[in-house]
Amino acid sequence: MMKLLDITEKYGKATHKYPFEPYKVATNFRGKPAYIFDLCIGCAACGIACPSNAITVQFNADQSKLVWEFDCGRCIFCGRCDEVCPTGAIRLSEEFELAVKFDKSALIQRGELDTQFCTECNKPFTAKRLIKYSFECLSKANLGEKRLEEAASYLNICPTCKKNATVTNFTSGKEMVIE
Amino acid sequence: MKCDKFIEALGARVKILEVTRQYEDQVTALVGLSDLPEAVRFLYYDMGGYLSTMVANDERSINKNYALYYALSMEGGKMFEGDEIAQDEKCFVTVKVLVSPENLTYPSVTPLVPACVWYEREAYDMFGLIADGLPDKRRLVLSDDWPEDLFPLRKDAMDYRYRPDMKEHYNEPEYEFLRPEGSGIIDVPLGPLHVTADEPGHFRLFCDGDIIVDADYRLFYQHRGMEKLAENRMNYDQMGYLAERVCGICGYAHAIACIEAAEKAINLEIPARAQAIRIICSEIERLHSHLLNIGLACEVTGNYTAFMHIFRIREYSMKLAELVTGGRKTYGNVVMGGLRRDITGVEIKESLRILKIIETQVEEVWDAVMDDKRQIKRWKGVGVLDKQVARDFSAVGPNIRGSGIKRDTRYDHPYDFFKQIEFDIAVVEGGDVFAREMVRYLELKSSVSIIRQCFELMPQTAIIVDPTFHVKPENFALAYVEAPRGENVHWIMQGSAQKVFRWRCRAATYNNWPSLRFQFRGNTIADAALIVCSLDPCYSCTERVTVVDIKSKKSKILTNKDLKDFSKTLKNSPMKDLR
Repeated sequence: MMKLLDITEKYGKATHKYPFEPYKVATNFRGKPAYIFDLCIGCAACGIACPSNAITVQFNADQSKLVWEFDCGRCIFCGRCDEVCPTGAIRLSEEFELAVKFDKSALIQRGELDTQFCTECNKPFTAKRLIKYSFECLSKANLGEKRLEEAASYLNICPTCKKNATVTNFTSGKEMVIE
Repeated sequence: MKCDKFIEALGARVKILEVTRQYEDQVTALVGLSDLPEAVRFLYYDMGGYLSTMVANDERSINKNYALYYALSMEGGKMFEGDEIAQDEKCFVTVKVLVSPENLTYPSVTPLVPACVWYEREAYDMFGLIADGLPDKRRLVLSDDWPEDLFPLRKDAMDYRYRPDMKEHYNEPEYEFLRPEGSGIIDVPLGPLHVTADEPGHFRLFCDGDIIVDADYRLFYQHRGMEKLAENRMNYDQMGYLAERVCGICGYAHAIACIEAAEKAINLEIPARAQAIRIICSEIERLHSHLLNIGLACEVTGNYTAFMHIFRIREYSMKLAELVTGGRKTYGNVVMGGLRRDITGVEIKESLRILKIIETQVEEVWDAVMDDKRQIKRWKGVGVLDKQVARDFSAVGPNIRGSGIKRDTRYDHPYDFFKQIEFDIAVVEGGDVFAREMVRYLELKSSVSIIRQCFELMPQTAIIVDPTFHVKPENFALAYVEAPRGENVHWIMQGSAQKVFRWRCRAATYNNWPSLRFQFRGNTIADAALIVCSLDPCYSCTERVTVVDIKSKKSKILTNKDLKDFSKTLKNSPMKDLR
């Protein structure tokens, strides 16, 4: 018994003054994913990667906005969203104090992005920023002026119309037999 | 090839209908229904096997039958010196039978091999398969008010989100406990709610005075149907994360067992560096789990000073986990084909520094605890697990190693990086709480050395293989990991569309529970909490206990504090004013 008391003497105080002093976490700590709205393009890669469905990306009721939503209560801090995000809009932070007082909606974070409507059929299909981002990527890809224009014309139409447009473009509107 | 020797011997005994090989050390033999008990008994007792897991499976969509797989780990009986199979012959032999959906009965193996009892009870709950001759036919997993004719794991039984209506508590059927004969025996219920609940569990202690004559228990209050959930909804990316949430302490061991089962089923070899890091993380887990248990074993007996010191050291192991994986728990790391996070040189250097601290301080505190005669007295001779009982019930982990049986998956079936690592297996004779805590202390030391060796030997390779693999439906395999509490066994049969067909997850303590009643017998109520604690299932700290004297019909409610105080001081017995 006395030996144990000696050990206490030897190592002194083991506790910290937390929460009155900050608790330092390791450099690569996996804390709450931090969302930077300005960088988000609404590509929904994080929503697909998220194994626990903490992140969802869907249109709101009147389809005027594409809503990115993160429910911290479901998050398991695996960091898959961080891995797949092309623009670095979501990064694991060092934040670990996640308790909320009674109000669970405080755990939810939301980002609303402007919807892009299809120029052909007027159907909403993605966020405006994703189109902008895609165009920027294309402009940096060292394409010829004509080729770029052609690609850009496809950007503003929804996948269904894109499919139709491609077919029309290839066949010039005539029915053909493919051999 | 491995296993052939056992199949040959089995073939001489019973008629084998078909032999299939799943992995280099895993073979399945299909036998006839009437040969089942003899086949399992022969492999278990005559050839030196231990029951690793038993899986029931609804294979009506594959071969129009239900199937049972009794997976035996062939490693030798280990009851005396030399009673062990040569290291390169150890393997897994699975005995498979088909049960027809018309009569749903199969002959029970339990009368010959007691270790099967829980598995066969569970097979009834989940699939409605009736073990003919099973001595104990009560429910195991499902709650008492679960509908009689609903067997959740049958493929056509129910949607995974369906929850049957609960019965009002006064309509709930009574669960029958196995009471011993005799007069003057008092029921002492412990549980089902524990304050530190890893799991809630209800223990019914049958006492004569302060002495426990026998015990029975009802567990699975926390059964969540993870297996059903995984089959219906999860893909392999999500499953690993679900598996690690089976346990709050040894989650990492479950994650690698689950993922490795899927990897083994398609013969996927992962890079050496990923193997090493998997070992490092699971050993870190062992550090903090063992420190937790030794600390609690002190706390239950009232030695708060030692408890606080051990938890102070445990904090370093949590720091270590934070450093290596980015979270205080080692979660969210394992994926099929390898790992998601590498370790940097700086992290290794810092880890080695922390390991040094843990090593020296653990030794200091353990010395001090060993010096304390009163502490030792509370541990010695309490909760003895007889060697033969341990053999019969296939106990695992420190529980069986404390009874002098050298059984450790890391040594018997070296997985991942363990083939390249040297370490001592802690085996202590005695079978009491003291022996089990001693095993844990020795394992702390070997864990530290294993982590060091891994850091040293870890090659500079990628940590994940190119994930262009395809799962093959109906392939199955077994994966085994030595978690802090013993061997975790996961069995996976793959289905189509990147989903599992059947996932059987057997946590270590599942094999330790059935023998617990033998450990209770002859001990005092004050030691009950300690015995449960030394098994390391969770800490049996009850919210309140009702004590009823059958003779005088008097009853009394004890609070958590009363019971704890009595455990610590051994004074003011709560039974006093009842007698």
